[in-house]
Amino acid sequence: MINWEKFLNIDRRWLYLLIAVVVIVPFFIRMGLPVVPSDEVRSIYNLVDSLGPDNAIFIGWDFDPGTEAENQPMGVAVLRHALDRHVPVFITAVSPLGQGLAEQGAASVFDTRIPGNFVYVPWAEWEPFRAAGYVGRDSLESAWKAAGNSLPEGARGWVFEGVDFALLGYLPYFGLVVLGMGTSIATQYPTDAYGNNLREMPMLRAHKNLREIDLAVTLAGSTACMYWVVYGTSRVGLPVAFGVTAVMATDYYPYIQSGQIVGMMGGLRGAAEYEVLEHEGGHTETTGKAYRGMDVQSLAHILIILFVILGNIAYFAGGFHKKTALKSGR
Amino acid sequence: MKRTVPMMIAMIGGIIMMIQYFIPHQVSQDVFNYYTEWAPLVGSFALVLGVGSLTRVHIHKIRAKAPNWPYSYAVLIPLYLIPVFAFFLPASIGGGTGKPSVFDFMYSRVQIPIQATMFSMLAFYIASAAFRAFRAKSALATILLVTAIIVMLAQVPIGDLFGRWLPDTGLWILRFPNLAAKRAIELGVGFGMLATCLKIIFGVERGWLGGAGE
Amino acid sequence: MLKHLELLLLMVLLPFGIAQAQEVGPQDATAPAVDSSNPSDSSAVSLDTALEVVPPVEIAPPGAVTVSDFPNDAGDHLLVSFEPSPDEALGILVYRIYRRTPGATDGTEEWAVVKTVAAGDHTEIVDGYDPDYLVTQGTQYEYRVAAVTADCREIPGEVTVAQVVGRGEWFHTEKLKVLIGCIIFISLIFYYFKRAQMCHELYLRPIPGIDAIDEAIGRATEMGKPILYVPGLSGIEDVATIASLTILNRVAKKVAEYQTPLRVPNRDPIVYTVAEESVKQAYMEAGRPDSYEANSVFFVTDSQFAYVAAVNGLMTREKPATNFYLGMFWAESLLLAETGSLSGAIQIAGTDAITQLPFFITTCDYTLIGEELYAASAYLGREPKQVGSVKGQDACKGIVMTLVTVGIILSLVDIFTGGATDPSKSLLLKLQGLVDVTSLE
Repeated sequence: MINWEKFLNIDRRWLYLLIAVVVIVPFFIRMGLPVVPSDEVRSIYNLVDSLGPDNAIFIGWDFDPGTEAENQPMGVAVLRHALDRHVPVFITAVSPLGQGLAEQGAASVFDTRIPGNFVYVPWAEWEPFRAAGYVGRDSLESAWKAAGNSLPEGARGWVFEGVDFALLGYLPYFGLVVLGMGTSIATQYPTDAYGNNLREMPMLRAHKNLREIDLAVTLAGSTACMYWVVYGTSRVGLPVAFGVTAVMATDYYPYIQSGQIVGMMGGLRGAAEYEVLEHEGGHTETTGKAYRGMDVQSLAHILIILFVILGNIAYFAGGFHKKTALKSGR
Repeated sequence: MKRTVPMMIAMIGGIIMMIQYFIPHQVSQDVFNYYTEWAPLVGSFALVLGVGSLTRVHIHKIRAKAPNWPYSYAVLIPLYLIPVFAFFLPASIGGGTGKPSVFDFMYSRVQIPIQATMFSMLAFYIASAAFRAFRAKSALATILLVTAIIVMLAQVPIGDLFGRWLPDTGLWILRFPNLAAKRAIELGVGFGMLATCLKIIFGVERGWLGGAGE
Repeated sequence: MLKHLELLLLMVLLPFGIAQAQEVGPQDATAPAVDSSNPSDSSAVSLDTALEVVPPVEIAPPGAVTVSDFPNDAGDHLLVSFEPSPDEALGILVYRIYRRTPGATDGTEEWAVVKTVAAGDHTEIVDGYDPDYLVTQGTQYEYRVAAVTADCREIPGEVTVAQVVGRGEWFHTEKLKVLIGCIIFISLIFYYFKRAQMCHELYLRPIPGIDAIDEAIGRATEMGKPILYVPGLSGIEDVATIASLTILNRVAKKVAEYQTPLRVPNRDPIVYTVAEESVKQAYMEAGRPDSYEANSVFFVTDSQFAYVAAVNGLMTREKPATNFYLGMFWAESLLLAETGSLSGAIQIAGTDAITQLPFFITTCDYTLIGEELYAASAYLGREPKQVGSVKGQDACKGIVMTLVTVGIILSLVDIFTGGATDPSKSLLLKLQGLVDVTSLE
């Protein structure tokens, strides 16, 4: 005879242990479950894919380390895609921690030890070419190659700071920053995160304010993503896409339906869907961390569903539903 | 006086900001910009008070040898030492905010992992809450439970193994019934916010004044 | 708070914001130049140089330029439209719109390219968006449009003195609907203020969570354990925080009467100062200023999860008998409430964060959902004006509910008749226009 009361009052650490096992094991045993991209993610992907060197996007690293597991793969995936399409990318952060994470994210894309990454050319390094008047992307790359630079094996291309990529970084009171960027990006960020003069950067001179930006992808674990909609979309018509945690995703479906945001990546699944699309589109050789995390998430969800079912079986089999002693709040 | 002045400031400020919203003229924009420049300043001053409070509480604990008082040192020492390293000491002895530095080490090797750990604890807590509290007590609770299971399965690739109907149903639940309920709550919240704002502007609500309000 | 109101109004207005046409043209990079992606093309260029170039194929220049004031702005934008060249098909790639300030009679004044648009695209632009070439209110500019051919020749049109100057407006005409909505809402609130003050008994439905507050404080007193009050993790500008501080004041009064220890950890420094004052005052009003502990209200950190760690630690060590979580919460809601549940405390939560409500409902004994949190101060105090404001909100919700119901009926009629009934169709469209105003997204 099962003691249901004892079962229901099981030490929670056993439940925690089971979760820990389910989270760790799939990292060693890959299941490779298929991920079917949703319309919400596909619309972001299609928009980025339609852009080129004449356009520009913002990626807002608007999250803290707490939601890194969900948000970081989204940022890396969009950054990789944009750079592969030679779309200039401005990166901002809503908190100092976010800037650190953005640097980490960018570093993972610029790590040439791993095939499929990009070679980062810092602003100071191509100064002589700038002085010689090579500021357009194609002419700069040709001159850069002609100067004897060659891509390491497996690398997908060069990323010239100031032409393809600029890390603007963190500024306090970010809502006001977005508001100000509607008029002028350089007024808000006279220099980038490394102290380089932004006004001298070709990508800024071609895109002076948010009206000239084709997309802002905000990655957030809080309502910080709303700054872009309230001050960007409503004031200057900036197209905005969200990359938010799974729990927040349900909040933002109305914004998709009303057309206020272009699309949305919801949680790790959203990031995995973007990785799959990118891989299918030939922008990456392999899928990334989010896709790998899908196995973990699948098993964890199954386990939690099992807990719910077992909890209910014990609840009814033990006859607790007839007792009123249990907490009766709603 | 202690009460009237802040209430007058709130009332005048509130009414001006309300009117400003409808006026696109430069004068109105200047008022808005003036206001937005002040807001960060006020916030910065308050942080000093906050740090003062934290220090006071922990010094009190140390002096009174309250339970677990040694941990108060773990709060106070980094609180004051890290800014010293970040802003006052030279890079040669680990100062500054660049790499490598004490600040960077504390940020990337301590703060990021700890924050990520705290957030990931949610997975464990959700599991425990699911086992303990998610009961099919009534017909409505049962519908909620079944819906939750469908949405959970729809959110992960394993749900696709049951057929396309499952993710499609999950998405439908999120897009329609879920949205209808949320909109209803949001509408109430929106009106509640507006009413509270009006109560503050016209001095009916005084909780925000702290003790001066009553 | 004001920021919040402004934010909400902005949110109400979002549909209009989107509708406002954005002037999008191909970037200057489309202009043929030595280096086609060189953005310096958009900088000041002397037109005289271009004038010297003689086109080998005769191409007519662009036609008349018309300048009009941009509506609903601060006078810092102008609408510039031009007639395209009749020979556009003969190889014109783009048009460059030049502008210069008046007084350049000696010809030394440089023309600035304020916009480049692709041929065949739109022929109307908004001048003033470029931060390097801002339009100043009241200044009369001169414009000239030049066609640029594939072989980099410029065919300049006539110089036109702008017919108007930029003028700022004193009312944003597109916000009229919002204004009407606001007037209706404010009038209803004031009407019910007055009604409540005229001693009309107004009924408020009971909310179990609010009724349970006294009981929860009593329980802690009986057990001799402290009460934990978390005023949310947001700042003072959040209406939920203000609502929470109002409740804190009333809870603190009870706590002071019962002489129960109170713990109020704060994440926001401004909220901390207000909460401290509020609790101190409550103790004074309860006639027990000496019972107030200086460290009962304290600031912890502004870091979300560090705050959670501190509060969870407090719950584990001091095991409060009652936990209140009232205000704005994010991902930390379950971490806090589940730890509280483990420590065996009775828990009352309240938030307008919809995504966090399920976590609180699952783990707490009582949960105030959305607007119930704002209404709590009216319930606890029962002051006529507070109660009146709740009734005013209800009246506004009634109006919106009516509009939604009518909208649904009209939509159904439209669906079932296949759009054949014109009256319902036009009524539906009108209603949709109205609902744009009341949309809170």
